[in-house]
Amino acid sequence: MLVSLSWLKQYIDLPDSTTSEEIGEKLKAGTVEVDGINNLAKNLSGVVVGRVVSAVKHPDADKLKLCQVDVGAEKLQIVCGGSNVRVGMLVALAKVGAKVRWHGEGELVELGPAKIRGLESFGMICASTEIGLGSMFPLKDEKEILDLTNVSLNGNEGFSGLVNRPSDSSLSAQNDDRAGVPLARALGLDDAVFEIDNKSLSNRPDLWGHYGIAREVAALFNKNLLEYKTKKIVKLKKSALKLKVEVKDIKMCPRYMAVAMSGIKVGPSPDWLKQKLAAVGVNSINNIVDIANFVMLDLGSPMHAFDASKLRITNYELRITVRPAVNGEMMEALDGKKYELNANDLVIASEDKVLALAGVIGGIDSAISDTTTEIIFESANFNPVNIRKTSTRLGIRTDSAQRFEKSLDPNWCPLALQKAVELVKRLCPGATVASVTADERNFQLNSRPIEISVDYFRKKIGVEIGQKKIVGILTKLGFAVKEKKEKLTVVIPSWRATKDVSIAEDLVEEVLRINGYDSVPAALPEFSINSPEVNTLRKLERQIKKILALASDYSEVYNYSFITPETAVRFGDEIAKYIELENPIAKDRPFLRREIAPGLVENLEKNQHHGDRIKLFEIGKVFNAEESGARISEKSDALLPRQETKLGMVFSQKKEGIPYYEMTSDLTKLGQELGVEFELRRIEDSQNYYHPGRSAEIFVGGNLVGTVGELHPVIQAGLRISEKVAILELSLDELNSRIEPDNKYRPLSPYPTVVRDIAFLVDKTVEHQNIVGVIQSADELVYSVNLFDVFEGDNVPLGKKSLAYRITYQSVKKTLTALEVETAHNKITRLLSDKFGVEIR
Amino acid sequence: MDQKMIIEKIKKDFLAELAAAENSAKLEELEQDFFSRRSGRMTEAMKSMKELDEDAKKEFGTLINELKREMVVKLEEKKNILDNIELQGAIANEAIDITAPKLPAEPRGHTHPNTQVQNDLEDFFVSMGFMVLDGPELESDYYNFTAVNIPLSHPARDMQDTFYIKGHGMDSDSPWVMRTHTSTMQVRAMKKYGAPLRMITPGKCYRNEATDVRHEHTFYQLEGVVINKDITFAHLKGVLESVAKHLYGAETRLRLRPKFYPFVEPGVNGEVACFLCKGNGCRLCKQTGWLEIFGAGMIHPNVLKEGNIDPNVYQGFAFGLGLTRLVMLKYGIEDVRLLESGDLRFLEQF
Repeated sequence: MLVSLSWLKQYIDLPDSTTSEEIGEKLKAGTVEVDGINNLAKNLSGVVVGRVVSAVKHPDADKLKLCQVDVGAEKLQIVCGGSNVRVGMLVALAKVGAKVRWHGEGELVELGPAKIRGLESFGMICASTEIGLGSMFPLKDEKEILDLTNVSLNGNEGFSGLVNRPSDSSLSAQNDDRAGVPLARALGLDDAVFEIDNKSLSNRPDLWGHYGIAREVAALFNKNLLEYKTKKIVKLKKSALKLKVEVKDIKMCPRYMAVAMSGIKVGPSPDWLKQKLAAVGVNSINNIVDIANFVMLDLGSPMHAFDASKLRITNYELRITVRPAVNGEMMEALDGKKYELNANDLVIASEDKVLALAGVIGGIDSAISDTTTEIIFESANFNPVNIRKTSTRLGIRTDSAQRFEKSLDPNWCPLALQKAVELVKRLCPGATVASVTADERNFQLNSRPIEISVDYFRKKIGVEIGQKKIVGILTKLGFAVKEKKEKLTVVIPSWRATKDVSIAEDLVEEVLRINGYDSVPAALPEFSINSPEVNTLRKLERQIKKILALASDYSEVYNYSFITPETAVRFGDEIAKYIELENPIAKDRPFLRREIAPGLVENLEKNQHHGDRIKLFEIGKVFNAEESGARISEKSDALLPRQETKLGMVFSQKKEGIPYYEMTSDLTKLGQELGVEFELRRIEDSQNYYHPGRSAEIFVGGNLVGTVGELHPVIQAGLRISEKVAILELSLDELNSRIEPDNKYRPLSPYPTVVRDIAFLVDKTVEHQNIVGVIQSADELVYSVNLFDVFEGDNVPLGKKSLAYRITYQSVKKTLTALEVETAHNKITRLLSDKFGVEIR
Repeated sequence: MDQKMIIEKIKKDFLAELAAAENSAKLEELEQDFFSRRSGRMTEAMKSMKELDEDAKKEFGTLINELKREMVVKLEEKKNILDNIELQGAIANEAIDITAPKLPAEPRGHTHPNTQVQNDLEDFFVSMGFMVLDGPELESDYYNFTAVNIPLSHPARDMQDTFYIKGHGMDSDSPWVMRTHTSTMQVRAMKKYGAPLRMITPGKCYRNEATDVRHEHTFYQLEGVVINKDITFAHLKGVLESVAKHLYGAETRLRLRPKFYPFVEPGVNGEVACFLCKGNGCRLCKQTGWLEIFGAGMIHPNVLKEGNIDPNVYQGFAFGLGLTRLVMLKYGIEDVRLLESGDLRFLEQF
């Protein structure tokens, strides 16, 4: 929202020495976000009003004229290409040093003295678009320069509040001594415009007009706010027109006021009004529409004007119905588009037609036109939620909808209507009120006073603010405060009572923000010494990340929780199992991931050309519809889907034939660091993306915690990955509940060890883990067992493999004799033959 | 030849050759030349003694022994000198390129930049006695909105801001959402732990927002809550100031301004003086001198009530940090999408 400083100043007695920057800073610190301050005069610096004294054809150019221009203190020679330049004309003259935009396009360019077709030119006579005034003075012709002759201009005595200036004060008689006046001042643009972030206003229905912002500025600078004055609308003894308003759904429309006026002459607005609207970025349309917009920008209460002839039932009877739309009903709006409405939309209708989409946009049928002579002004209050729903659904974000959806004060309706009527009378001297003022209403504001003690402020803020100051601030903001010793009874003003302020905490904020958040000294809270409960899952996550990144060269990725149906299919999964978003951002990623590994494999696919060796991991949540998780609320038994925290790892390396082993080795390393022993068991019927012959389930203490393996060749065939891929998935929730650090010390033996190797042939299907188990438990003298060679191929019969283990024997009681070792070793050999049919080599 | 002359000659030759010996090999040769048992010049001279009479023998013997002692000492001195020179040479020869890396290169892994920033903050808060909590990312509409005082009609609940789950849409009996903030954990934590409470909850959040250089539908936040009987706005300021100083140094200034969040009252927008330009204005802070880091405020009594905590007895504050934003600021990352790109060229920089 744009806010004009001169407009604000109409309502506050701010000293001239207060700069726009100071006001901007205070507003930022206490009220709203100010994105920028636009000093209009700054952009027009060096541009003055000039009077063309002479204009003759350029000797060497048909379309150029050589002009002498009076700029007060001097006369300047200017070469001008404007089609409409003539002697006596008042123009916008940009002197050397001023900045202009050539033909209204591109960057601002600083003017220098120039020679045009051999003749010197000391500045430029500008078109409106070249000095940023295109919206105020639209170009009729490309070659046209801005003609100020018939524009009412302020003189050198300065700008004095446009709104109260008589509109008919023609200054053109004394035009000549306007020459040399800076254009910004002449046009009343020596103003600063605050650009306020609308988002920062979303909770403040009272700040969507200048008067509301003025109230804040008055409080922030401890100045007085002038009263918002309006004249009561005359009560007619006998009205020319009968206006009947019917509100079908008062909840959707808590207040509807309307009045008819006749004798209207639609025409352009006076310059002061155009200028005021232009300053805050609103285009001038005609006097009636401009008045409605002006009142909205002034008070913050949107208005609408209808051409009354479109609402006539008889010569003297007019009827307005506020009702829900009928499903499928159409309306052509002021933006030229046709909208299909439904029963959730509220419309303003005549007997047979939708005239406006309530609070959102007017219809084209009842729009004010050049021939309109009778109007109806609407000043209403609509249900904010309903307005937002309609405006969002239809994509119509008007200034009006933006305001109504904030919960406006219904008490503004009469003020806005009175202001509009007053202005119409001023701008159209023949206009009269032609009907009784309709006022349909049914609303209640939260006017119950808040009881609050002065000490409450200290208790919440941490420092004393002082009763006088508290009461002063609240009063300046429009709260009515009654003091009884240190007890305050505070009545909320209607414009804050719609939703914004309702409890004592709200009052604390009001006082605190106006007094300044800066005024509170920082302090640290005191707590008893309690060691916080440790989040073991989080601790485990952090340990794992550190181990994988530092000890096993894995890089951590973060993936989206959303996946594409293609990903699910590529990894052999059924889409039906997935939890789906109702409104995915990208239509192609509607599903919540069920597993962690597919994303990592796709990362690997994308990074393939990054290097010969890629190791990635991720820790994140997966979403599973079949199992249940946390409750949706304490009062309900309904449960959310289970959201397990999982670790995923992938590894591939150029020419690595069995990446499985590096992955399991990394798993072992992880286990050693965590103090957990992982046991691998062959998966009996692998159904998903794991290689059936090269995958295993991971157990801790007999409990399944994850899976490790190579990617299924069929799945891999559908990916653009040339090397074999190993993957690992661990449920950290499961692992976390199974970790029992059990790393006990084994006493050192003072007696020597004896090392014996054993090598044998055995069926390929016999697993190392089982062999080690047998050897380890064969005799108490076995201290350790290590596999040191595996061989298949030449000299090994088909279906067999050659294994070699190094067994270390030791006793804690004595030095072993050769016989004792021999006996134990023989026992092992025998056991291996019996159990696995090994052939000792 | 006169015996004395022989000795003089030997001595002269020895000294000359000794001076000329430039390395230990030459010195060895020299030693052999004079002292070899078979053919050394000193051996020869000794042998020639046999032909002398007793007196001459004695005299010559004395002389030659003196000479021998002198020569041995000189030889040893020279040897030390040469050894030392040669050692220095060898040491110089062993000099290596101390900047060259070990080969083959050791592969190294990397944690995600968000992990690093998050861990640092977790440690900081744990050191101040905060619990670190975690919760569902697919959350009920209740914990995401209603419990934190966001009423049904609030724009945040619109489809364009929030991901709803199919079958659990906005208008269903049991709406489910992808949590739009970590504030979901406020009421969960209050209900579980009651008051007094000190907790943070970092995590993944989602907003239905088109993705571009500055916007992501997936991002990370860190939320914190402090509740006790006497927690004030001044405490809020003190804790945020501590965080700001932890992040950007002891001199960092903090600025609080009003901002509306439904779950706090008063609401706070916390900014720190830009760490890059020290508040003078630069590209990073968009010339304002300030970086918006925190959203915060005193917890709304409705939220405390929802968490079964009596707002007449307890009060507290909540604050939120955009972890994703902190990461981008810290490392000067300009495209937010890189964080979730899985691109190793990016990840390996951390």
